[in-house]
Amino acid sequence: MNILRNQYPMPGILLVEDDNDLREMLKDTLSRKNFTVLEAKNGRDAIMHFKPAVIDLVVTDLIMPEEDGLKVIMRLREMKPGLKIIAISGGGKAGPGSYLNLARALGADAIYSKPFSINDLITKIEELLVGEQQG
Amino acid sequence: MKQNTARHSGDDDLNFLKREKYFSDHIIDHSRSMISIINRDYVYEKVNSSFCNAHKEVTDSIVGKTLGDVWGHEIFVTKIKHNIDKCFSGATVRYEASFTTPRSGVRFYEVIFRPFPVESGEITHLLAETFDITDLKLSEKIATEKEEEFRKFETNLPIGFIRCQPDGTIIHVNKSFVLILDCEKEDAICFRNLRSYYVEERIFEMHIEQLLGGKPKYFGRVPLKTCRGNEIVCRISGFMTVNDPEIPSYIDFAIEDSSRELMLENRLLEAQKLETIGALAGGIAHDFNNILTTISGYSELLQDDLPKSSPSAQKVAKIRMAVSKARSLTNQILTFSRQMEQEKVSVNVYDVLKETIGFVKSSVPSNISVRSNFRRIEAPVYADPTQLFRVFLNLITNAVQSLENRKGTIFINMEVVEGRNVQNEMNKNIVADEYVQITFRDTGKGMDQSLMRRIFEPFFTTREVGKGSGLGLSVVHGIVSEIGGEILVSSEKDKGSSFYIYLPVSRETINGTGKSGRRKKILFITGNRHESRILSLALNNTGYEMIQSCEPVHFNKVLTDPKQKPDLVIYMSDSELIKAEDLLVAFKNSEINIPCILVTDSNVGLMEEKLLNSGIIKQHLIKPVSLKEIKNAIQLSINS
Repeated sequence: MNILRNQYPMPGILLVEDDNDLREMLKDTLSRKNFTVLEAKNGRDAIMHFKPAVIDLVVTDLIMPEEDGLKVIMRLREMKPGLKIIAISGGGKAGPGSYLNLARALGADAIYSKPFSINDLITKIEELLVGEQQG
Repeated sequence: MKQNTARHSGDDDLNFLKREKYFSDHIIDHSRSMISIINRDYVYEKVNSSFCNAHKEVTDSIVGKTLGDVWGHEIFVTKIKHNIDKCFSGATVRYEASFTTPRSGVRFYEVIFRPFPVESGEITHLLAETFDITDLKLSEKIATEKEEEFRKFETNLPIGFIRCQPDGTIIHVNKSFVLILDCEKEDAICFRNLRSYYVEERIFEMHIEQLLGGKPKYFGRVPLKTCRGNEIVCRISGFMTVNDPEIPSYIDFAIEDSSRELMLENRLLEAQKLETIGALAGGIAHDFNNILTTISGYSELLQDDLPKSSPSAQKVAKIRMAVSKARSLTNQILTFSRQMEQEKVSVNVYDVLKETIGFVKSSVPSNISVRSNFRRIEAPVYADPTQLFRVFLNLITNAVQSLENRKGTIFINMEVVEGRNVQNEMNKNIVADEYVQITFRDTGKGMDQSLMRRIFEPFFTTREVGKGSGLGLSVVHGIVSEIGGEILVSSEKDKGSSFYIYLPVSRETINGTGKSGRRKKILFITGNRHESRILSLALNNTGYEMIQSCEPVHFNKVLTDPKQKPDLVIYMSDSELIKAEDLLVAFKNSEINIPCILVTDSNVGLMEEKLLNSGIIKQHLIKPVSLKEIKNAIQLSINS
């Protein structure tokens, strides 16, 4: 664990988003804040290539091709129970409940509907990761 | 008789007469009718065997008896005597009556009295013939009853029956036919030709042709013309009765009014269409939100990089404002397509409707009067009050626009109706026992059917390009559907339109707050009392403590008083007394660090722009704002 931590000194963030531009924007921004950023362009990739030792926080879209964001939240939480999760969605509902509400019910630490303020997101990520380090 | 006598002459005469008497006695005795000869004293002088058999007597014991002896005195007086007297005055009398005989019990008889002898001037006797018509009577009775039954069935079923000649000339119709075809009387229809009720006579000819085979045929839905000239679609089936194999005698048709089923089918079709458009539009909005997030993200980053008051920073601020507008639009589309999350609280429809009417009344032109004389009803609905406000506002605004510059009235009413009635009206499963029905009726220009079918489609508008987004009614539809409600429209060109909204009443109290601990205080700065009351009502029901502020003195006091200090400020740009400037000054002077949410309409003024650039504003929302949106904004602002 410690060795790995040394290899990746900054907290690791996994971005799961099928929109390339949006993912790139998020990656640019978070990289500038010196986070280690990994990307996945759909839910299946995120689950298959998940590295529990590297990733401390996941920002995931909810409606995506292949596996959707709800599956990502469930699977990744199984693999790493302490993982912080932020769900982002551009609207869309699964039956009577909305995806974002479901995401919250599944244990997402924060949810944002698109379009959101990038500064708000960064603040939230920092807050969650600080909490992580303290805890 | 005389010819016969002529053939047999001389000695044969006596034998012949004997034979004749034997024959006629035989015929008379073996007739099934009771035959007798009665004299003026009402005494039987001659009776046949049938008569005796019926009375279980031999001939001698009846001859010489009076009718009173045989039939009983009372029967004689009430049923027989006057007929006999009539006959003795020279008339043949025929009547029907029931009599009791020892052998057969009660039977129906037809009785004929004939004066006798006919040839002589004086009537000394009469000939009585009595036929047993009991079986005939019984079958007649059964036939009448059957016909009665059939008539009931024919009258009560909502199916029109018509019998007509093969050329279409109507012979008979039932009541339902008259009702379906909106005619005044049955008589008015007979002798008319059925083909004249067909919108296309060609179709009538086709029907007749198909019936020639002698098999019943179902023709499906056919447009017909009512007596008043309106078109009505009916299901028609028919059968041709062929008595002679060559010549068709008559044709029976059955018609059923399919207006209701057509209406329901159309409604279903409309709903499906809206669902499809919704899914499509929702998908686009979803993708669009991704793009908007990228734009707004880079803009924010750019703004962070640039010196605050540089011209470039201001340009980026404009980009961010455009993003807010675009977000407002995608939100509307998502609301229409029911993919927008809604924050619901228990709210009394009456309060929201009253606030909306109050809000509108001040701006309605003087040529229009708004009438709303309903009484307060407790009709709690589980919904977002701000969204309900939008629904009502939209419908009233549409009504106002439909009146254009003419004088007119808008009637608004609300009442609670039973769920069953809604189910009947909609032919849909209901979700509540009670519904609140809100009616908006105007005397405006109305719409025709083709227009009415499309009004809920997004981006459909009758206004000129550039006026209104065309999202209004589609959003109304989305909101009402999301609440589990229904919306009905009826309209007539040049007469006006009515919109009926049905919302499920939910009497259980749903605990919307669910949060313990101190309620967060929100300072709500606004000039618009009605709209803000609804938002404040919504937020209050969601668990926030609302402090309303309409004037600078009060607002400054609240901001600086540590006891009253709010956790958040919401500033509505239409606030009249407290200007954006005042807010800017107040925040700068007192160096208070309270997050602030700015709510504007899509046209952002200069001062608001300044406010946006000042860094005070944490979130910028563009009207219409839903409870969900403002709640999200509040949570984001308070947390960060």
